[in-house]
Amino acid sequence: MSTLQKTLHPDEKIKAGKIGQTMSKAGIGLAVVFLGISIILTLVGSADTSHGHESKWARFFHAYVIGWSYIFTLSLGMLWIIILHYLVRGRWLTAVRRIAEAMTGAFPIIFIAGLGFIIPLLAGYKDLYYWAHPDAHNHELNHHLLHKLGWLSPTFFALRYVIYGIGFSALAAYFAKKSRQQDESGDPKISETLRIASAPAMILFALLTCMVAFDIAMSIAPKWFSTIYGVAFWGSGCVGSFAALALLVLAIQRSGRLTHSINAEHYHDIGKWMFAFTFFWAYTAFSQFMLQWYGNMPEETHWYKYRLFGEWQWVSIAILVGYWAFPFVFLLSRWTKRIVPALVFFAVWQLVFHWLDLYWNIMPSYDWGVVYHEGARIVSGPLTGNPDLHHVGFSPVDITVWIGLVGLWAAGVGMSLKGNLIPVKDPTLPLSLAHEVQ
Amino acid sequence: MSNAHDNHDHDVEPTSYPDGELYGVLAEYDTPGELIDAARKVRDAGYTEFDCYSPFPVHGIDEAMGIKRTILPLIVFGGGATGLLGGLFLQWWMNAYNWPWNIAGKPSWSIPANVPIMFEATILFSVFASFFGMWILNKLPQVWHPFFRADRFAKVTDDAFILGIEAKDKRFEHQATVKLLKDAGALAVEDVHLEGDPARRNMPKWITAFIVASTAFALIPFAIAAKARNSHSSSPHIHIFPDMDFQPKYKSDVAMDLFPDGRANRGEINGTIARGSLNADDTYYRGIENNAWTTGFPKQLEINDATMKRGQNRFNIYCAPCHGFDGQGHGTVAQRVLASGGSAFLPANLVGAGGSAVMMPNGQLFNTISNGFNTMLGYANQIPHADRWAIVLYVRALQRSQHATIEDVPPEQRGSLR
Amino acid sequence: MSTATMDGAAEGEHHDETAGKAREAFRGITRDVAWVAEAPKPHKAWLGALTIAVAMLGVGVYSIYVLVTTGIGVWGNSNTVGWAWDITNFVWWIGIGHAGTLISAVLFLTRQSWRVSINRAAEAMTIFAVMCALLFPLLHTGRPWFAWWMLPHPNDMGMWPQFRSPLMWDVFAVSTYATTSILFWYMGLVPDLATFRDRFAMKGDKLKAIIYGTLSLGWRGSARQWHRYERAYLILAGLATPLVFSVHSVVSFDFATSQLPGWHTTIFPPYFVAGAIFSGFAMVLTLMLPLRHLFNLQHIIKESHVEAMCKIMLATGMMVGLAYGTELFIAWYSGNLYEKFAFANRAFGPFWWSYFAMVSCNVLVPQAFWFKKIRQSPIIIFVLCIFINIGMWFERFVIIATSLARSFLPANWSYYTPTRYDVGLFVGTLGMFFTLFLLFFRYVPVIAMSEVKGAMPEAHAGGKKDKH
Repeated sequence: MSTLQKTLHPDEKIKAGKIGQTMSKAGIGLAVVFLGISIILTLVGSADTSHGHESKWARFFHAYVIGWSYIFTLSLGMLWIIILHYLVRGRWLTAVRRIAEAMTGAFPIIFIAGLGFIIPLLAGYKDLYYWAHPDAHNHELNHHLLHKLGWLSPTFFALRYVIYGIGFSALAAYFAKKSRQQDESGDPKISETLRIASAPAMILFALLTCMVAFDIAMSIAPKWFSTIYGVAFWGSGCVGSFAALALLVLAIQRSGRLTHSINAEHYHDIGKWMFAFTFFWAYTAFSQFMLQWYGNMPEETHWYKYRLFGEWQWVSIAILVGYWAFPFVFLLSRWTKRIVPALVFFAVWQLVFHWLDLYWNIMPSYDWGVVYHEGARIVSGPLTGNPDLHHVGFSPVDITVWIGLVGLWAAGVGMSLKGNLIPVKDPTLPLSLAHEVQ
Repeated sequence: MSNAHDNHDHDVEPTSYPDGELYGVLAEYDTPGELIDAARKVRDAGYTEFDCYSPFPVHGIDEAMGIKRTILPLIVFGGGATGLLGGLFLQWWMNAYNWPWNIAGKPSWSIPANVPIMFEATILFSVFASFFGMWILNKLPQVWHPFFRADRFAKVTDDAFILGIEAKDKRFEHQATVKLLKDAGALAVEDVHLEGDPARRNMPKWITAFIVASTAFALIPFAIAAKARNSHSSSPHIHIFPDMDFQPKYKSDVAMDLFPDGRANRGEINGTIARGSLNADDTYYRGIENNAWTTGFPKQLEINDATMKRGQNRFNIYCAPCHGFDGQGHGTVAQRVLASGGSAFLPANLVGAGGSAVMMPNGQLFNTISNGFNTMLGYANQIPHADRWAIVLYVRALQRSQHATIEDVPPEQRGSLR
Repeated sequence: MSTATMDGAAEGEHHDETAGKAREAFRGITRDVAWVAEAPKPHKAWLGALTIAVAMLGVGVYSIYVLVTTGIGVWGNSNTVGWAWDITNFVWWIGIGHAGTLISAVLFLTRQSWRVSINRAAEAMTIFAVMCALLFPLLHTGRPWFAWWMLPHPNDMGMWPQFRSPLMWDVFAVSTYATTSILFWYMGLVPDLATFRDRFAMKGDKLKAIIYGTLSLGWRGSARQWHRYERAYLILAGLATPLVFSVHSVVSFDFATSQLPGWHTTIFPPYFVAGAIFSGFAMVLTLMLPLRHLFNLQHIIKESHVEAMCKIMLATGMMVGLAYGTELFIAWYSGNLYEKFAFANRAFGPFWWSYFAMVSCNVLVPQAFWFKKIRQSPIIIFVLCIFINIGMWFERFVIIATSLARSFLPANWSYYTPTRYDVGLFVGTLGMFFTLFLLFFRYVPVIAMSEVKGAMPEAHAGGKKDKH
């Protein structure tokens, strides 16, 4: 076990300077442009009544929830690794930890952005979550939904959302704040405090993450359920999060900062986590799929039937090959993780496929069936039709909303990129700087 | 640490064996760091046939010695790929191709259900490749190495850090090599010679014999199994745990001394009929109506084209071999009887004008089919009642057909007659 | 033998009292670990424990004899509770085995150097636990002599195993796990067996030297060999990690692929893995705490290591608790009448007492590990670990028995009581486990000497140049 140490290079540029502001400006610009395009596209479009939606904004909001989940998970993984780092007295992360903290600093912006679908929900918007639609209360059609409509009601849902927002933002702020405090004093007691706090923090993190996954992502298909969904959501999220970390670290280094402190060893470790979570996500996703396929119970399999037949078949195959098989095989080797262009390629690749995974999770539920029952037209909700007739199609709004929200996220990260970009007086920094992967 | 456990009371003085030629030199160093420095010097001096020996892997010595990265990971990857594809192929061939059977409606080739075994096979083969590959690349097990002749060398597995250079190295020159090692900070440098007595250089014969014998011995159970699987035996199975192999029950058609007639079969009980065997309807089941042969057809029989075709089909199967397809009695059986010189028992002509088959009522025809006549055996066991009536219907049609006039042919079909 | 004398005074040697401090430390490790095997008479406590263990094993042997000659009817299993103590024990033992692989492989990959004091014993524990576990699926078939049919081989019926069944996946997973554990353990042992070889050779004990020599394959500590060895070790550790996850996931598939409420749920794979690590660490501590005390190994298996293990138990215990909570939530959320009933039945049905044991031992007991005072008290930790193992046993029992005893059709509801042969076999496996472990402790290097030496600060001692 190496106890090699290294100090910060005297010429190292550690101050964020203008980089945070540049990032924020770029992010806001991206958000305005792409969300603006999305709004315009939606306004000139028409309602998708063939899919059971009366409002023309249904597609926009579905894409918004997907984009929101995306940016939420980008920060989620970083909060997790920071808490874990303190919990197990880790060393390698310290050199890049401040950057990870900046990524978690985006949580307030993320949850404010989320109000973009929460407030309409509270105001009675019924074409996003089926349980908010009056037809969900239909006794004949939705017998199995009725009992949970108290839990899945806009008010309670929004209240939980606020709790999630406060929870994640507070956790992120606590660790970031204490970390910056240590920059002044170098007090090892701060590390100890954070280590003690990391245990209950991890418990809170786990609970909140599971609930976000169940609420925001799983309830889009309210008749479906899976106990592993929270774990899979987190696993997939971490893939994107570590990929984003790699790119952000690289961008900062390209701007001339931290060029001596962060080297191939750190990239290797980031790559290892990307690889590990690619595998872990595949494990949870396969477990969920195989168990529901094997049990063959229609109340569960309807979710998968939609995604494995018809037009979603190719997306499913793309995710299997692109999100798991291809990165897995190539990230096995040391060299893809140490040679920065190779790592960058896979980081970008996984960032795209992470979005595709969330898209595959959420968008198929966009198609809501319509039935005629005793003369009345009733919206029967997602996943109630024949998978061969099911057609969600693709809309440019899916992409533009995504990019717009990523822009908001970047703005949030940029706002936290200030001061020291490296925890200068953290006791574990010398170890992290000298870090070597076996 | 106390020396309480370091008890050398039972150490034995070594016996002296004569030395042969010089094999190499060993240098002992105090710390791992010094060993690394020494290794670097030796490598820089151009030596290649040298190695460092330590009780644990010394961090940094690979670079100092110039050890190239091993190819083991590639071997492991190969092993893993073999396992993955092998597992896939195994399950496909056995469950989807060679012997596909329906389990719970799952597709024969169920990839989701095949993944766990493919995964485990990948890991298993990777493990084998890694484990055996490493030992093979390391050329272990190795029974002996000349450096073990030095007592000092026994401490390598305890606390010693030793650098050994072989005499066969191109740059080896005894004095210069020893000086190089000493200058690098050796605690001690020692010569190691090969075994002087050539007979002692090889593995003792008894060990070789033991290995060969035990390998041969170990193959015996497999040989027995192979022979057993490729031979036949008429002896009964060996039942180690009889469990339910010998059941205290009687099977059909065996002897049983409990009953006077000695049979396990008890037959029908007097005054009873098995369910479904009552067959009360005389007309349908026996062709009898009001104590005489029925002249019509039983009401259960639907007189239509389908029944007629059925009758034709059944007639052609059961009756035509003797009575011929036209019912005139020139079936293949009849021809064979004639060809072999017999003539007494020929099948009847069913359609000849004024013949008994033409004159007899339907019920009697039915009875003949069921119970036979003269040398014709009854077909009751082969032809169900409904089919028998269909045959009767067809025979009547055959009989009419042999004495038909042009008026009997429907007008629209007269054109197809020649 | 060479011309050098025994104390190594060859030409050019110098005796320096200050030099050799690092080597003194290494020698100390060798001595402290090797004396257990070299002591002419075994420790009284060891003999006592072995006697008890062999007696328990004897009970097991008798139970197996009755079971195999009479049949499964001697157990309490019956419709509808077709699986009971047999499969509970199987999962329990496999779970315990996982901690060994975790300590060996995962802590290696995450560079936790403190693992070196316990990894050898933990790996041995894994192998013995897997051996105990394998008895159950073998015996519960009723006609275990047909077990070889589970391996595909050409036969005159043209018959092949049904690979789509989770029970077949178990065969492959557990046998891969057993093989890998044995190979990994053995590979780690080779350098230490070489140490034993050399020590016994120096003492003149030829027989032991030959035995250990054969087993150590002629190992001589060559750097070129260490290079490949280390690579293989890293690769095996990297392979063993997904293997651990996959094996217990496959075991969980035995239940989750079914349609029984309480069994069919997607979280089973990671939940079972977390539970396995939880109970495995508890068993490691149950074994190591008394042994480290009796054999004076406290300076190698340090208090900080024990504390770290307590924290891991707390973490995995909380994961198990999270899984319990998720299952309850989704049981309600799903609206499935049978699912809701299954969970209510666990808490209030005929097996409520086992559910109570499970929750108190798995969720409440590990909470004690929040307190440093408890983490530093070996006696309390020992007791708590036993409770944790009991709790994890009850977890598997609760899953199996409650869902089977109260499944879909009320007319089929039944109950389960174990018979003396159920208990006897379980006692027997405990006996087998402890017997093997005690034998291992006496005759095999119980701590990975070479790894401990490599992890000590003295391993980097000396040298003129700084490393980087």
